[in-house]
Amino acid sequence: MTHTNGADHMHATDPNTSDGPHAGPSLDPELNLRLKQPRGGVPGRIVALVVALAVIVSFTLAWMLKPSGAAGGVTRQDSVAIGLNLAPTNLDIRSTAGTALDQLLIGNVYEGLLSRNEQNEAVPGLAKSWDVSADGTQYTFALNTGVKFSNGDAMDADDVVWSINELVKHQYHDANQLKFFKSVSAPDSHTVTITLSQPYAQLPWALTTRAGLVFDKDASYNYRTKAIGTGPYVITSFIPNDSVSLTANKHYWNIVQPQTPHITIKYFTDDNAAVNALSSGSIQVLSPITASLAAPFRDNDHYVVRAGDGTDKYVLAMNNAPGQPTANKDVREAIRYAIDTKQLIAARGGADSALGGPIPSLDPGYEDLTGLYPHDVAKARSLLARAGYTKDHPLKLTLTYSNTYGTEIGNQLRSQLKQANIDLTVHVVEFSTWLQQVYTDKNYQLSLVDHNESHDFASSWANPDYYFNYHNQRVQELTEQALSSTSAEESDKLLAQAARIVSEDAAADWLFNYRITTAMDAGVSGFPTVMNQIHMPLVNVVYVK
Amino acid sequence: MTNRSRSVYARKRSPWRSIGIVMRSVWARGTGKFSLIVLAIWLVVSLVSLFWTPHSLWATDGYHVWSSPSRAHWLGTDGTGADIASWLMAGAGVDLLIAVLTVVVALAIGLLLTACMVARSTVLSRGSVVLIDALISIPTILVALMLAVPFGASVGVIVAACGLSYGLNMARVCRPQALRVANSSFVESARHSGVGAWRVFMRHVVPNIRSVMMVQLSLSAGTAVLAEAGLTYLGVGVPSGVPSWGHSLATSAKFITVYPLTVVWIGGCVTIAVIALNLLGDALRDASDPLTNPALRQVDYGA
Repeated sequence: MTHTNGADHMHATDPNTSDGPHAGPSLDPELNLRLKQPRGGVPGRIVALVVALAVIVSFTLAWMLKPSGAAGGVTRQDSVAIGLNLAPTNLDIRSTAGTALDQLLIGNVYEGLLSRNEQNEAVPGLAKSWDVSADGTQYTFALNTGVKFSNGDAMDADDVVWSINELVKHQYHDANQLKFFKSVSAPDSHTVTITLSQPYAQLPWALTTRAGLVFDKDASYNYRTKAIGTGPYVITSFIPNDSVSLTANKHYWNIVQPQTPHITIKYFTDDNAAVNALSSGSIQVLSPITASLAAPFRDNDHYVVRAGDGTDKYVLAMNNAPGQPTANKDVREAIRYAIDTKQLIAARGGADSALGGPIPSLDPGYEDLTGLYPHDVAKARSLLARAGYTKDHPLKLTLTYSNTYGTEIGNQLRSQLKQANIDLTVHVVEFSTWLQQVYTDKNYQLSLVDHNESHDFASSWANPDYYFNYHNQRVQELTEQALSSTSAEESDKLLAQAARIVSEDAAADWLFNYRITTAMDAGVSGFPTVMNQIHMPLVNVVYVK
Repeated sequence: MTNRSRSVYARKRSPWRSIGIVMRSVWARGTGKFSLIVLAIWLVVSLVSLFWTPHSLWATDGYHVWSSPSRAHWLGTDGTGADIASWLMAGAGVDLLIAVLTVVVALAIGLLLTACMVARSTVLSRGSVVLIDALISIPTILVALMLAVPFGASVGVIVAACGLSYGLNMARVCRPQALRVANSSFVESARHSGVGAWRVFMRHVVPNIRSVMMVQLSLSAGTAVLAEAGLTYLGVGVPSGVPSWGHSLATSAKFITVYPLTVVWIGGCVTIAVIALNLLGDALRDASDPLTNPALRQVDYGA
């Protein structure tokens, strides 16, 4: 049947139906059957509503009547679960980059010749003490006795020498920390001597990084799936990108023994999932947690929220290469004046601290440089006018950064720079794109990165090949002198001088020093809150409930 | 209707008159009324946002982030201190554009593929069925990801990815109906009278698969809005700085435990818009089918 036929049929038989769009049904019984009839489904809906309400009410009641934890005596728990963010893909700390491994393994499974304290200074580790020769080129380390690896092998000077030689030979990760390295030897089984080609004041700190880790010379195992070290814990299970189980090492040598026999580490990529895990009690510690997300825990007596210092520097990199608009110092200064870093910190929840230069407070050479470029839009405008940019002819710049930092900070920078006659285009890209385009090809104008490495001044600002394209003879000389100084004090002073020059040059803008916020159950103690994204010793963690 | 006017309509096709009847019967249904009102508001807000928003999109205030609704900020502020209402208004425009463009692309691709599938050439018809069945198994999100690598995140990528996927779906759903029409006796007689293949397709096949198409396309429009939100949330949708509902959702969803209200606004917008589009498809189908809408049978299409 076609439309035409149907219409003709009706007109022919019943002219009364043609008086409007709301005409009655057709006379054709087949058509009538196919008409949609209004259904009387009201009782069905009410039943559904009642059922839904009943379910909601019963769940709410069940939740409210749930026993709220044991009130009486507290007991020390046998296990603690810790929620972290960045997961390691394998356990090979020698050749896999990424701070997730440093965080997990150093101080827990592997130990270094030296260790570090909460002030980010070198302290005794496997070596109980060390001496420096008068000319600063020879370091002698006295090792602790009775140290055993988790497989029962004894640790002696040969293991240390082997580990350092392997590191240098294969150029494993962090091998570049051992600057001016010449040789390492073992005069006896409990003494190690490192000889340098010239003095290097930061060698002790360098040995607290992966460069100082001691591995078992006699053990042969797959470093990607197993870890045999001298640390307080052994890894009993490792699920890449998900979780790690740590169990106390029964061969641990130190007087300070691991306080909790079992520690589970869970990795969360989703902030909300992590927060839910903490509030439901499936983890007892969450670090890092976004400052804004931590607010409900801060108001709750069952939880403790702490912000700890770190060495994360949020750097707004400006391409200093000739030909770029940011090669002009007026432009770079204008950008620094135009950005209100206090507002950025406030928007993030106020936990971070202001940072005026390339060296954060936990690194040698720190000096408070936040006063150099205070927020001053008028000054920014006049500097830009001098460089030839006005309201009608604004400076057009492109900011390229990785999507791991979110779109908010880009929007804020665009809004702030607009007031100083800078039109910012923001490209938020995949990390791999950023790595290629900005870091490797140096093809960018502005970029934004969290440089979280400690002691990285020399490798970034005194290195003209780095992606900042910052080339300053004086800074390089000062840094060179600082590194080869025999006195730590003088070294710090020289670094501070160099850092001041970099900051005065407005070589970049340092937006803030990110401080890690940790939220934990009030019963947890001994969890490190300072620098815990790169160094998280768990030996003292206790959980009472 | 008088006899005189009837004779005029009998000779002439009257698309405007039938569109009027369809719209009136859509309006007569509760669901149709709802969707027409929502779509009208959506359109008006989008147009207004081109010229005016309560606050500039680029005004941020770090000292007043996540503030509650107030007279200055009707729906509060987001994590940068920007006005949520302004971003939602501007996002409405972008999402409307995406929905419309997706429908256009899906319609073009869908018609072309339907034409291939009902073609007389066995190679073409069988081949296109196999091809479409193979292509339909690729998820929209994967297409978007693959397109986003060379072209970067953009509105074009969303439209292309969604348009392709929904066009394939539409063609696959339309095929049985189109095939039945293509094999019918009136098409055969048209062919024998020397009418070209493409003309037969447009004159006879398309009008008969119109109601299926309408439902499919309105679903596509609704799904395109959802896809935009999802893709932007994943970072392969609209680029940073382009307001869209996905963008607002991505920035607020992270803080759902602390500031649930911000997610409610945007979630409400997306849900209501998508429901309106889906209901409109149903209402349109019922209203535009002479079998279910008797009023339409009063209009004489002529032979």
